[in-house]
Amino acid sequence: MDEEKMEKLKIQLQQLLNEAHEFVQKIPPTQINVAIAVVLSTIVLFLIIRLFKRKSSNTIVLTGLSGSGKTVLFYQLRDGSSHLGTVTSMEPNEGTFVLHSELTKNGKVKPVHVVDVPGHSRLRPKLDEFLSQAAGIVFVVDAVEFLPNVRAASEYLYDLLTKASVVKKKIPLLLLCNKVDKVTAHTKDFIRKQLEKEIDKLRASRTALSSADISNEYTLGVPGEAFAFHQCSNKITVAEASGLTSDISQLEQFIREYVKA
Amino acid sequence: MLEQLLIFTRGGLILWTCKELGNALRGSPIDTLIRSCLLEERSGAASYNYDAPGASYTLKWTFHNELGLVFVAVYQRILHLLYVDDLLSMIKQEFSAIYDPKRTSYNDFDDIFQQLKKEAEARAEEMKKSKQLGKHVNNNLGRKQGQVQNGSVDGGSKKKSGGESGNDGGDGDKSRGRPLENGNLRNNHVGKGEVPAMVNANGKENEASKTGAFDLNKLQKFRSKAAKKTETVVNKVPKEEPNKKITKKNRVWDDSPKESKLDFTDPVSENGEQNISVVAADEGESMMDKEEIISSDSESEEEETRKDSNVDSKKKGWFSSMFQSIAGKANLQKSDLEPALKALKDGLMTKNVAEEIAEKLCESVAASLEGKRLASFTRITSTVQAAMEEALVRILTPRRSIDILRDVHAAKEQGKPYVVVFVGVNGVGKSTNLAKVAYWLLQHNVNVMMAACDTFRSGAVEQLRTHARRLQIPIFEKGYEKDPAIVAKEAIQEASRNGSDVVLVDTAGRMQDNEPLMRTLSKLIYVNSPDLVLFVGEALVGNDAVDQLSKFNQKLGDLSPSPDPRLIDGILLTKFDTIDDKVGAALSMVYISGAPVMFVGCGQSYTDLKKLNVKSIVKALLKLEVSRLMICRS
Repeated sequence: MDEEKMEKLKIQLQQLLNEAHEFVQKIPPTQINVAIAVVLSTIVLFLIIRLFKRKSSNTIVLTGLSGSGKTVLFYQLRDGSSHLGTVTSMEPNEGTFVLHSELTKNGKVKPVHVVDVPGHSRLRPKLDEFLSQAAGIVFVVDAVEFLPNVRAASEYLYDLLTKASVVKKKIPLLLLCNKVDKVTAHTKDFIRKQLEKEIDKLRASRTALSSADISNEYTLGVPGEAFAFHQCSNKITVAEASGLTSDISQLEQFIREYVKA
Repeated sequence: MLEQLLIFTRGGLILWTCKELGNALRGSPIDTLIRSCLLEERSGAASYNYDAPGASYTLKWTFHNELGLVFVAVYQRILHLLYVDDLLSMIKQEFSAIYDPKRTSYNDFDDIFQQLKKEAEARAEEMKKSKQLGKHVNNNLGRKQGQVQNGSVDGGSKKKSGGESGNDGGDGDKSRGRPLENGNLRNNHVGKGEVPAMVNANGKENEASKTGAFDLNKLQKFRSKAAKKTETVVNKVPKEEPNKKITKKNRVWDDSPKESKLDFTDPVSENGEQNISVVAADEGESMMDKEEIISSDSESEEEETRKDSNVDSKKKGWFSSMFQSIAGKANLQKSDLEPALKALKDGLMTKNVAEEIAEKLCESVAASLEGKRLASFTRITSTVQAAMEEALVRILTPRRSIDILRDVHAAKEQGKPYVVVFVGVNGVGKSTNLAKVAYWLLQHNVNVMMAACDTFRSGAVEQLRTHARRLQIPIFEKGYEKDPAIVAKEAIQEASRNGSDVVLVDTAGRMQDNEPLMRTLSKLIYVNSPDLVLFVGEALVGNDAVDQLSKFNQKLGDLSPSPDPRLIDGILLTKFDTIDDKVGAALSMVYISGAPVMFVGCGQSYTDLKKLNVKSIVKALLKLEVSRLMICRS
């Protein structure tokens, strides 16, 4: 009984195939070609869009503690001067522009999308919105008032370095020591070493709370060794700048390195 | 005269300052204004006072929410300039006409500003003159006091006020005393952001003055007494000491023989600890270290209820609001925001937020939304709700790090113990939560020691002793009827001797109005200078939370003999498991004190200690109840 049924099914399938074959052959060839071409071109279009998305974004995020000079640096990058001065920011400053020093360059220069996120602790959640599209992060540190704020700065930096988006995408980070025009400013090596020491201490106390903090999914550095910035998977460099005197060449170098012209 | 007038964007760039008033401001009043007032959601307040060595300023501000601009005027506190509000609104109008987001220098505004300033000053002079004419006709004491106050220290009109006070001899002293008292009051409240207290005090003052002349005198005397009290160093012996010496006699109800033994506690022997099983101390992981799973189904509920609330309004209103939402209304006026804000305020109050706080929050949100253009396809309700949500997240996000373990390690490195003092009113759960915190610290390998400084309540020392026995940690106790400050001092010395990292100090519960008890508390804090003063408050409290926290902070500040008093550093919210979603007490406490919530107690066993989850609290606060809306609809 089953064999008969199988036979019947087989015959039916074959008949269907033949009918389909005839149907396809009946359609004039141009229509088939056009249909295939349309399907192929949409597939190709999707692939290209995906490639475009994977291409580097042109966003640079300026972050750091409140009072470190981010808004001044933003306006230096944009206009070449900080105008009448700044106060504590309550909202982020965003802008897509060609860097002021490159306005005189010949040829096509790609504009950079710079975001200055407020450093006040109450406004920290705003940073997450911009991190997802960042091609590079600039962590601005006040080189003059460094030691009183070293704990807060290192906590902020630690939180930044252990965020999932930063670790997965390996976003490069520039540690910018600002206000170096002042006489009492610390050197960038001193600042780097101090921050490494503080983050090392934080590692010890934070791993104790790690399961409760949802954002800190990653631990830093190599366990057992003292923490150093070169142990991080994303590249961390240190540079100096002075917002008020327009000495921002190292910052612009960093930007140009990661936002290709 | 104005010290300075600034116009800056919300992003922080200064667009224009008045070049003629070139006096450099001492200290950084603008930054402080932004940090302690505007970002703290107190932008609905009328003015802000700032003190720096050598100067004391009052700041007034206004926003242009559409363009994202802030206008701030700074002037000396002793002046009472009437024209500032007027001037600010005029400047706002004129500047928004010439504002262009691309421009960064507005030098042409100087002339306009001079013109406006002259106009405003002239108008203020006229108002003053008309008030003074009215004074001769109407002998109302209140108005007189008001105008003497306003005219007293302003440059040209000093002579006039002198002439007036000469007319009524008795009032002369009062009028001169008044600005001083205002200054005194303000000095007491400065830096704590307690603008409402100041406004209240002024209101009371005005009311009293309207009743009669001799009442004013009494009020003046009381206030000068209070001022004297705050200045002198007081070390009074707490009054309850003599009362305690009278021992209670057992009550005999009938002729039954007297019970000889009522004390059934185990005698503490040398081997007492061995009797208790060690297992009791290990109840698993404290909830502080566990992740919070936020349920996602609550989000869909929220959207449903939001839709319901929108259908709530009348049919005609619904149609016009739909039309407006598609078209995008020109500018939001306060009258448009009012119904939405009122609904939100009522919603917050049903969630057990104190009425005063809900009011202030709504004012702050209104100030930030007024004049803004509605984006198309958004309703007013949703804009207001989004702004409120942002404001709530901003308030509840801690201003400084609440990583206690980090602080403990830092203190350990310095070689001294980390001292935490638990304060609060009666019966909020200080001792219970102290044990929970000790348990959590023990799990992170920190050596803890308890100090029983509750020397008043019977059984307090035994309670802590039991906890210490279960957790197997040392406890420092001196029994009852001892000075808590001295007990705490000796406990800290003992801790540094036996190598404890943390000392948890338990104090007796006290009402915020009880002055002698508050004095002993501030003495304890002053003598021992703890690293963390933790205010323990229960989540069940309603409007009293505002009173408790503000009075605690105030008394700690006033009664402390040091010029830089320690205030409340953190809040421990208890009995969180007893409230379902009426979580408003957390918001009231954080708003009024500015201190972050460091722990949340949600049960009576050792593991019931959590961290505050800001997002879930905000969600719970903004969820509108469906049942309430059904009543409104019918």
